[in-house]
Amino acid sequence: MDNELAALTTIFTEFYYWMTVVLMFLIHVGFCMYEVGASRYKHHQHTLMKNTLLIPLVTITWFFFGWWIYWAFPTGPGLAPSIMTENSNLILGGGFGANDLANATNPLMAVNLGDHIMGVFWAAFLLFSWTAASIVSGAVIERITTFAFGILAIAIGSVFWSIDAAWGWHFDGWMLKILGYHDAYASGVIHAICGGFALGVLAVLGPRIGKFSSSGEPRNIGPRNPWLVCIGLFLIYTGFWGFYAACNVPIFNLGPEYGMEGVTFFTATNIYMTPTTLSGITMNFLLSLAGGLLAGYWVSKGDPFWTYSGGLAGIIAASAGNDLYHPLQSLIIAAIGTVCAYKLHYWVERKYKIDDAVGAVAVHGYAGVVGLVICGFVLWGYPSSGYSVGSMWVGTDYAPINPLGMIIGAIIMFGVLGFLPGWILAKILHGAGKLRIPRDVELAGLDYNIMEAASKDEKTVASSSR
Amino acid sequence: MATVTNWIDHLSASEVAGQVYPYVGTEWLWLTIAIVFWIWWHISTAAGETEEQAKLGRKKHGPNDYKKNIPDW
Repeated sequence: MDNELAALTTIFTEFYYWMTVVLMFLIHVGFCMYEVGASRYKHHQHTLMKNTLLIPLVTITWFFFGWWIYWAFPTGPGLAPSIMTENSNLILGGGFGANDLANATNPLMAVNLGDHIMGVFWAAFLLFSWTAASIVSGAVIERITTFAFGILAIAIGSVFWSIDAAWGWHFDGWMLKILGYHDAYASGVIHAICGGFALGVLAVLGPRIGKFSSSGEPRNIGPRNPWLVCIGLFLIYTGFWGFYAACNVPIFNLGPEYGMEGVTFFTATNIYMTPTTLSGITMNFLLSLAGGLLAGYWVSKGDPFWTYSGGLAGIIAASAGNDLYHPLQSLIIAAIGTVCAYKLHYWVERKYKIDDAVGAVAVHGYAGVVGLVICGFVLWGYPSSGYSVGSMWVGTDYAPINPLGMIIGAIIMFGVLGFLPGWILAKILHGAGKLRIPRDVELAGLDYNIMEAASKDEKTVASSSR
Repeated sequence: MATVTNWIDHLSASEVAGQVYPYVGTEWLWLTIAIVFWIWWHISTAAGETEEQAKLGRKKHGPNDYKKNIPDW
């Protein structure tokens, strides 16, 4: 940085991503509160620990290999040519197939005076990874072992979502080039995949004891503490602002980036380096929240749990195209996604006896899939990348956004990279006897020993006179 | 060992070295230690969890027994 303007741009961008990380931390606070509020008293503390431990586990594995996967596999490998060639000056070399910045042993993955962005960008993606694992966490409460959840959290948080991000959420991703995939705020690359992964795990894990009657009728195990659930979901909404901001590049000159001679065009961009505005996505975020809340209230006949969840499902459904939609389109898409998610949740629960304790598969998975499919129709014909018109990217084409590509993309996200790995890993853990807690422990409560010790402590203190 | 001992010399060099953390060049060693620690953590905590749950399961508590242990403080 040898001039003030370059320094200002760089350090502004560094601070911008840093702020998004702080805001996104609230998503995790919200998820913890939400899960504890939804769990029963005798499982509270283990539920909290399970979700908390994904923070360190996903963080270290994201440093070890998660971030590297994102940079290593945008082209498949072998499914599409890369635009990161020597001509484009984007190839950085090294890093075992990825670029040097993502290599855990490279000096650039540390305090480095020559780089102000990669650490905060790494952290922003890490917070997405926590969210990915946390989505799965809520669905499996009260009966999964902490060990099994740790393995599954690493799998979804540092491996599978990272692969899908490389494929469909990277400016060089093969899904953009071949399918015309577009997913600006992660309807698919975070939400659909995690919903699918959770469903795969739940299919093996089975329901909580008592969830279904002997005739197969589902019973409601309502939130133990609705206030905690309410605050948790509000915090998730709040953190979602940071999530949206983190999916953008705040300031970028697209003229030279697209190879347009003599053109200067500074703007915010989405993750694919196509232009959008923070102003516009703010309106879309709020209108999709509103659409989800209204639809959630209506379809659930005023149920608070589903009204709040509807707000989240609404944002998730509209997220794929919220960089380009009109706010009123966001509103309608959010409402449709929320109604679909609600209906599918109860249909799957009855038909397949799936016990999704917090509705995570519905809110994230089904709403995400619906959002991707709708995006394919509404944004039909838009370029999936600005690089498709640049003369500097010789030999590489990007398909335009289209319904078929988005439907295939949704199947890849929810099914291929979500459900399938979740189901296989759960089967392996189940086969090793490590997936589910013993029946007697589930009945007694995971916290029984902690509560018993606390009770003894209380009696001892109460009977003390000095 | 300090990578930087004089900031003025460091920043006025013809080519400023970006990495300023200690022991530059030993990153593989730190990574190896970290991975060993990570794997050990899983093994250790999984064993502890299995043992604790086996012990609790053998006591055959009923689904409402926890209620007598709810402290008032």
